[in-house]
Amino acid sequence: MTPHNLTSEHPEDEDDLLAAEYVLGVLDLPERTAVEARLKADTAFADRVAGWEDRLSDLNGAFAPEPAPDLMPRIEARLFPQAARPANGLRSWWADLRLWSGVAVASVALVAYLALTPPKPELTATLNLDKGALQYAAVITSGRLTITRVAGEVPDAAHSHELWIIAGNDPPVSLGVIPAGGETISLPGAAAGAVLAVTLEPPGGSPTGKPTGPIVAKGALVKA
Amino acid sequence: MTDDPIADLLQSVAAQDRAAFRQLYSEAGAKLMGVLIRMLGTRAEAEDALQEVFTRVWLRAGRFDASKGRGMTWLIALSRNHAIDRLRARPNHVSDDLAMEQAADPAPRAETRLMAQGEARRINECFDTLEPDRAQALRGAYLDGQSYIDLAARFDVPLNTMRTWLRRSLLKLRECMDT
Repeated sequence: MTPHNLTSEHPEDEDDLLAAEYVLGVLDLPERTAVEARLKADTAFADRVAGWEDRLSDLNGAFAPEPAPDLMPRIEARLFPQAARPANGLRSWWADLRLWSGVAVASVALVAYLALTPPKPELTATLNLDKGALQYAAVITSGRLTITRVAGEVPDAAHSHELWIIAGNDPPVSLGVIPAGGETISLPGAAAGAVLAVTLEPPGGSPTGKPTGPIVAKGALVKA
Repeated sequence: MTDDPIADLLQSVAAQDRAAFRQLYSEAGAKLMGVLIRMLGTRAEAEDALQEVFTRVWLRAGRFDASKGRGMTWLIALSRNHAIDRLRARPNHVSDDLAMEQAADPAPRAETRLMAQGEARRINECFDTLEPDRAQALRGAYLDGQSYIDLAARFDVPLNTMRTWLRRSLLKLRECMDT
């Protein structure tokens, strides 16, 4: 579908209409992924999208709330694989209190320690495949993951590299599209043994929240 | 702190506050579930999508900017985007959506609810300046995730006609809302 200019003689209206169509949701998948790629680089265009999100948000009152089951345990298990919760319903409140006062003391000690020492990497991973030149390096320091391309090429304009973390038998969780220059993102709770994988996806990343393209690099997190 | 409790929670989530993350779920989960059920059609898929949405909320809360909008608006935009991506990735989504459409025409239902919403008065007044079927097409797109292809089929007009209709309506809507 080609954008056409029937509606307006002003070229800036074309951008604004594309932003409106994106927010309204009427575009097809290739058009949406193109808009999402542009959103990351073009702040003026991102402002147009925000403007339409604001205008059309007046319609949000028409979405009636529906009871949501407690999905938090599953969400937390995906995000914080390390945090094994001891589902101990019998533990009393004062045991919690004692635990937390201990944590508080430890936290003060930890803050003092961190203030005096530069953060050291806690986990690292080398992501590659047996065949192929592409290689990424991942480092986790203080709950932040930095991913850097150390060998091979960025994907062509029709694709993106998307980073995933897979803990145990859980489904992959997207950590987002990797910009050409690498990036640092918040990733608390990652544990040694979890696998990082990079897949080839449409521009802007997988539309479904699950990997749709081939794995182009992967590697397990190990203690630094 | 702001006068927007959801925005405050999002800022705490951006600082990796897990208690705030749980509170955000209990305060916003039902509204977002409503968005996802309406757009995706089934509770099972909406629950799957809600997990994905909250996973993204944790990872992206740092991008929320309280100076640019309300917390709930940001959450609903994130949820709608995810729902639309799922709808567009479905094979044969036209027929699915049309089946849903015939089962329960959502437009009058939306309208009734909207009438009760003070905040929506402005957009309703502006919708009243549009031709009724075009206003209905805009609502179908925003609230039910209908694409140009779906809308062209629903209103039985060629795709480009629908696109021209909606683009003209969007310009009118912008003019009305920005004045």
